[in-house]
Parts: sequence; structure tokens; C-alpha cells
Amino acid sequence: MMPRLNRRHLLILAAAGLVSQPMPALAQSDPLRLAFIPQENPDKLLGDIKAITAWLSSEIGVPVEGFVTIDHAAAVEALRNGDADISFMGALPFVLAEREIGAIPLLSEVYRDTPSYTGRVFVRRDSGFKMLADLEGRDIAFADPISESGYMYPLAEFERAGLVSSPDAAEDFFGRIFFAGGYQQAMQAMAEGLVDAAGASQYADLLLTPEQQSQVTWIAESDAIPSHVVIARPELDAELRENFVAAMMKLNMPEHRDKLRYLYGPDGYVEADPSVFDGVRTMAQRFGLL
Amino acid sequence: MIQHVLRVILFVIVTSLAVTGPSFATPAKEAPWLPEAAAYRLTLFLGNLAPVPWYKVEQAWSEPYHGSEYRLGALAWLDRESAVDVGDLTDAIGWQDRHAVHVAATRLIALRIEEELDAATAADNPAVSQRAVATAKELYRAFADHIKAADPDAARTLGRAWLELNNATGSAGVLGAGAKEQDSDAMTTARAVISAYLAENYLVADPAPRQTLTAVPEAIARTGQPVELPAALPPGSDIFDQDPLPLLVLNFEEQGIDETDLPLIAYGDMLFDSAEIFGGPARDLGIACSTCHNRSDINQRFFIPGASHQPGAVDVDGAFFNPMFNDRRDDPIDIPSLRGLRFTGPYGRDGRFASLRDFSRNVIVNEFAGEEPTPFMLDALVAYMTEFDFLPNSLVTGDGQLTEAAPDAARRGEEVFNRPFVGMGNQSCASCHTPSGNFLDRKSHDIGSVAAAYEGSHAGALDTPTLLGTLYTAPYFHDGALPTLASVVNWFDETKNLGLTDAERSDLTAYLETVGAADEPYEAFDTANTPFRLAFAELTTFASTLDTLLPKRDAQHILVLTDTVAADLAADAGTMANLSSRPEVYALAERLAEVGAAVRAENWAAAETSWSLFKTDAAAIEEKAF
Repeated sequence: MMPRLNRRHLLILAAAGLVSQPMPALAQSDPLRLAFIPQENPDKLLGDIKAITAWLSSEIGVPVEGFVTIDHAAAVEALRNGDADISFMGALPFVLAEREIGAIPLLSEVYRDTPSYTGRVFVRRDSGFKMLADLEGRDIAFADPISESGYMYPLAEFERAGLVSSPDAAEDFFGRIFFAGGYQQAMQAMAEGLVDAAGASQYADLLLTPEQQSQVTWIAESDAIPSHVVIARPELDAELRENFVAAMMKLNMPEHRDKLRYLYGPDGYVEADPSVFDGVRTMAQRFGLL
Repeated sequence: MIQHVLRVILFVIVTSLAVTGPSFATPAKEAPWLPEAAAYRLTLFLGNLAPVPWYKVEQAWSEPYHGSEYRLGALAWLDRESAVDVGDLTDAIGWQDRHAVHVAATRLIALRIEEELDAATAADNPAVSQRAVATAKELYRAFADHIKAADPDAARTLGRAWLELNNATGSAGVLGAGAKEQDSDAMTTARAVISAYLAENYLVADPAPRQTLTAVPEAIARTGQPVELPAALPPGSDIFDQDPLPLLVLNFEEQGIDETDLPLIAYGDMLFDSAEIFGGPARDLGIACSTCHNRSDINQRFFIPGASHQPGAVDVDGAFFNPMFNDRRDDPIDIPSLRGLRFTGPYGRDGRFASLRDFSRNVIVNEFAGEEPTPFMLDALVAYMTEFDFLPNSLVTGDGQLTEAAPDAARRGEEVFNRPFVGMGNQSCASCHTPSGNFLDRKSHDIGSVAAAYEGSHAGALDTPTLLGTLYTAPYFHDGALPTLASVVNWFDETKNLGLTDAERSDLTAYLETVGAADEPYEAFDTANTPFRLAFAELTTFASTLDTLLPKRDAQHILVLTDTVAADLAADAGTMANLSSRPEVYALAERLAEVGAAVRAENWAAAETSWSLFKTDAAAIEEKAF
């Protein structure tokens, strides 16, 4: 069961992280509330939130508050309760949130000129593995069982190749499947020879040392996965939503690009296209998540 | 000069085995060091310096490490996050007992790992369990590379145990979907492997004193067997190139001469970018002349704890780089720009070297523990460095006069600059910073900016620095004590009793900023001129000297080149925007390495063949090298 959080619970969670920018001179007193999912050090995220909410307040003309939730479920619950208006989220949690509360995608992150990325199956160059079939009976490390690029999409390539009949049958093909806890752990396990292959983001090899990078390669690449998305609760005032999107799109301008580092560090944003999530919806269904 | 960006990652994540939480981020991002793990590694690093900088050891635990994403220092962090007692550690630091600090700090990290593993196994839901395992593994990072170097079989066993442990924590799913229960038995089994190793090696009752502080497991350390540890800088170190990257202005290039037609200069350019000419940790860490002097200028972000007192500074005669040259004085200096080098002698902050050649040899041999350079290498380095030109500045003429484009405030400031002051012995600023002589006088003066080393010492005289290009080289003075040009003006006004009005200070600052300005101070990158393309062009230019060296059968200098360029080419591939072309760049690097291998085998025909193929391959991928 998804944990249910009420407003009191949320405020307790937010107590350590709430960084509001009161703007008494502004016309609207109700602040726009942004929920952030912790990706790394929460301490840094708090500083980042303070910086970006201050700027957004000045751009939109309403107070903007940001807080850190414990996970995606808490963020969605905050959107449902109205404790948050907008949240930053991965593509998979978004399609689940869409089903749960009718969340609306506003913006997609852009990396290297595209609002999508892929998952890959990496191996060591000296392993001799050239195709997915070579990994039969071998050990593989994935990032996490709910990771699009670090599990679901790479595993789907084994299905596409006819090697795995369904996600549940994957263990019949491999020797061992490990969920290593993240891209970096999965890639290090592969690079160090603890496992034979790793399923991770197309960029995950950049987490290896330069020497290791030259020693690994990839033998399969998934379909495009929509990058992370900024979503809104469906009841959010349309004008406020538009103003928020307009402000965020300014981050693509040279004079504002430095602020992107406060928002998980994308290269920019584009307005979200809801249709690009069809593949994620299908993938979520295939893995029994939707 | 080559971007050494990725080399830094080698130092930072060579031991990195952990990241917080599952893989959320679209692009890959390295995890920051946990505060106590960072403090531990800093303690090892600082504890191996002579003399041990105890106040920095104390700071390593009490303050966030340089560049830390955590707001708290390790002790405050532990107070918030942990029940492990830190008394032994703080007592040992207070006693300045090196062995006791090592024992207490090592034990502290091991206990923290155990504490998190306890939390992981006791947790009743996967999310809490996963976070605890992730934290435990981040703490293990403090030991991991030394275990791998000293006890590779155990490292592999432990690596599998960490995999098993994380795998057994299950999954909280996402929004309630896809949840997977913990496997308590598997967690207990995997945890037992880790805990047993910690008990045997990091929680022993009476560890043996160590000459060099390391995280090598006790069972190995007690055997006395030598362990070759990977070169690593401690957390907080930053030897990335500065951003924005300074623009390099080379005299020959401005005249339209191609560097590939200047083999001596091209070879010197390669040496300036080569860690191979250094020894000791600098060589192992990939530190070259260009690491500090990005594109002939400075590197404002360079920082090594224990060797730097602030970013952009380094103590080149301290304990770290060359123990033989250690003056046992904590006296880091602000990295000076090398622009206009042929006009700025004598060399060294105090002008101790009249000759650039002697200065360069001292840097290689004494400061960075390198082998004695050959005359050819010194010739090449000097030939290259004397091509460094000042940045073009349309606000100032070649003889130091303001042009029509200069602002009025600068014109008023120019009068102040040329005004004699009683407080300066009836000299003016221009007396030393002679406008017609590139704003310097090639002399040393004691202006009172250096504290006397001892009573009656005369050690305070420093070489007059040029003012050209200084708008981009903050901070100022030999130790980087003054953050802005305005603060320099204030310093002179106050210490020399110049009696300047606020307006005069402002005008004088405007003058300095005008003289120190440039039309284009930084390299402008775009889709056509990417960092990798710049590096690729430079590396292939360096390699072009093989056209001269191979016919001469000059094995010694060929090998310096191939070892440098092949490694840098492969390392720089990770900076490519066009990541799909990386395999071709790796192959190109291997081709150059083949030249070196053939030369080592004295198979000159094979070397010629590989070199010819390198040129063909390089031309083929040049268009894709972005």
C-alpha cells in the first residue's frame, strides 16, 4: 500500500527543509509550493531550493516555497492534498501519479539537446561478449528494480531479443541478477569484474574512471526514455501554471542558465509532450506497475 | 593545453563504490563524500605531511571539507547522525598523537559502517534498509581502494557481499507499485562477511603503528609487505581546469604560423601539458604545468588540502610534492600568470631566478620531483613558454598608454597612478609598474606585504608583477591575500598613507581594471569549438613532432610524447559531446601507444607504420571530434 501522508505529516517532513521566500508586497498571498525529490545530499538540495525559489518568486510575482519530500510517494501525496502544487519527478513515477491523481506534465528536462535518454547493457571490452545472448548464465547488475534506464528498459532489450520471455522469467536466463543500488554501483561492479554486465543509463559509464571508461563498452541500447519531468496537480490555477512554465523556460536563456544547477543540473527544459510517455506507460504495464 | 577534467575524476572516484539512493538522475552524477569519510581520508593525507599540520587535521573534522555539499563538518554531522563516540578521536587530535588519531579515526569509520549495517538489518521496510546500506557503503569508500590494493581477493569477496546485501534489501517500489520484500537471511549472511572483515582489520584492539597512514587492512599492514596504493588526492581537492578557460595567445599563432611547423615549440607545448616530466605524486596524479597555469594563465580553482590555503594557491616546496624539497614552512603562494613570460623575468615570486631555463628546471626537479630534464626538453619548454603573449587589450597601447576607448574614470585614475606619494618614498605606482615596460620594472621590492620570517630578516622583497591581464587573475599579492583590485588600492592607500579620496580610490581602481582588461579573456566554446575538439587539435599537434623525432630515432623523447599523448587522448574522450565516437578515439590512442611500444622494442619500421596509420585515422575522425 502506498503510504498516506496528511498535511501535518508533510509539514513535519518539511520542517527541516522548508525554505520559503515571503513576498509581502506581492498581490497573491498563497505561495506556489514546489516539492523536490531527494536525489543526493539533502543538505545541498536545501541550498539549491532556496536559490531557485527566490528567483522564481521574482519572475512569477508570487511567493514560491520549496520543500524536500522523502520520496515520490510523498510528493504525489502532497500534490493530491494540495500541500504541493508542482513536483519534479522521473518519467515512471509521473505515469503512476498521472493515474493516481491526474497529474499534468509541464516541462521535460533536456540533456545534450534532447529530452530523452536511453538505457544500455554494458560489458567489459575484454569479456568477449558481443551480443545479449552471450550473457546467458552470466551475472548482471542493474541499478534498481524501479529504474527505467537502470533496469526496465535494458531488460526489455533481452525480451526484444527473444532471450527473456517476461520480466518475471529473467532469472531463468541470467546466472544472478543483482540490484546494486544505483548506476554507479552497477557499473563499478561490472568494471571490477564482480559481475559480467550492467544495465544502466547511457551516461553511466561517465561515472567510471577514465581508464575504466576505455575498458568498457555496450552491446545493447534501449528505446528512448523520456527524461525527468516537472508535473503539476490538476487543480493548479491555469494562469499560475503558465507563468511558472514561462519562468522555467527562461532558464534556457544564456543569462539564466547558471540557475539550472539548482534544479538537478539539466541542460535546459522543453514544454512536456504528454504523448512521449506512452512508452513508459506500456513499460510500466509490462512490469506490473500500472 | 589539454583539459585534464577527466583525470580529476580518477582521483575523486577511483574508490567510489557508493551513491545515495537509487538511480534517479537522468545523467550520471558522482556522489559526494560523506563528511566523516571525507574527514578520515583528509586525516590520512594530512597525517602523512611533515610536519603534520595539526590545525588542518582539526579542521578536517570540525569544518565541511572544501567544496563539500554538506553544510556540517564531520563532528557536527556525527553528532546529528550517529551514536558513535568521537571522544577518542578528539582527544587524540588534541594530543597531536599521530598514531592515536589514525587508530581512533579508523575505528570510528568502521563503527559507523557497523552502525549503519545494524540499522539496515533492523529496518522493517526496504526504503530505510536501502538508505542505511547505501550510507554504509559510502563509508566503506574510505577504506575500499586501499583494501583493493592490499588484499584484492578480499576486495572481491567484499564487493560481492555489498552487492548481495543491497540486493537483499528489497525495494519500496514506486508509489506503492513494484514493492519487493527484504530477504533478511540473505542480508544477515552478506553483512556477516563485511563485519568479519571489519572486525579483523579495522576494529582490532591494538593496531600497529604505521610509518605512512593508510586504510590498508591491519592484517596486511602487520605483515610489513609493501602495498602500492593508487595515487589519490583527498576529498576537497580540485584540479579541474578553471571555468571559464583562459584564452591562450601565442605569438607565432597570431602571426599565422602553424604550430605543426614548429616542432621544438610543439614539443615544448606537449611537455607543458605532460605529467611525465614530473615525479612523485604529481606524475601519478596527472599534474602538469598546465594544471596550475591553464592556457598560460592561472587556475583559480586549483586546491589541494594541505598544500593550498585557498583556491588558486599551492605550496610547491611543501611536504606533498617532493619531500626532498620540503622547506617545512606552510607558505603557499598564489599561482602567477605566465602571460608575456619573455617580458617578465626574473622568475619566481621573489625573482630568485634570472633565467627561465633555470626556473623551469627547478620546477621539474625540485618542486615536482622529476628526473633531470634533457637539454632538448628545457629548450623546448622555454621555446614554447616564451611564445606566451599578453591578452590583446584595445583600451591600452603597446607602450602602456590609454586609448580613446578607455573610460574617463580610468583617465582620472591614470593621473593618480603616476602621482608621486610621500608614503611611497616620493615614488608613484608607475615607478615600479612602468607603463612603457609592460607595467613592471623587472626588479624586486619590499612593499611590506610579506611578514618578516624572523626579526631583522630581509626576506620580504618580491618581483614586481605586471598589471596586464590582472582583471582576470584575482586574488592578488603573492599569497592571494587581497580579493579584488579595489582591495589592492585600499591596501596601498592605508599602509602607505596615500590620503586618497573615495573618488581617487575608485578612479585608480578603474585605471587598474582598464589596464588589466582584455578584449577576449576566455576561450569561447561553441558547437564548432568544443573542449574536446580543442584538446584533440592540441594532442594531434603534439603528436606531429613525431615527424621530426622518428627519423632521428630519438627514443627517449618519443616515449615521453607517446606516453603523454596516448593517455591524454583516451582520458579526454570522456569529454566528447559526440560520445558515440569515443571508441574511435580510444582506438586512436591505442595506435599512438603502439608507436611507443614499437620504439621500446626498437622496431622502428613498426613505429613508422603505426605513426602513419595514426595520422590517417586522426584525419578521418577529426570531423567527428566534438
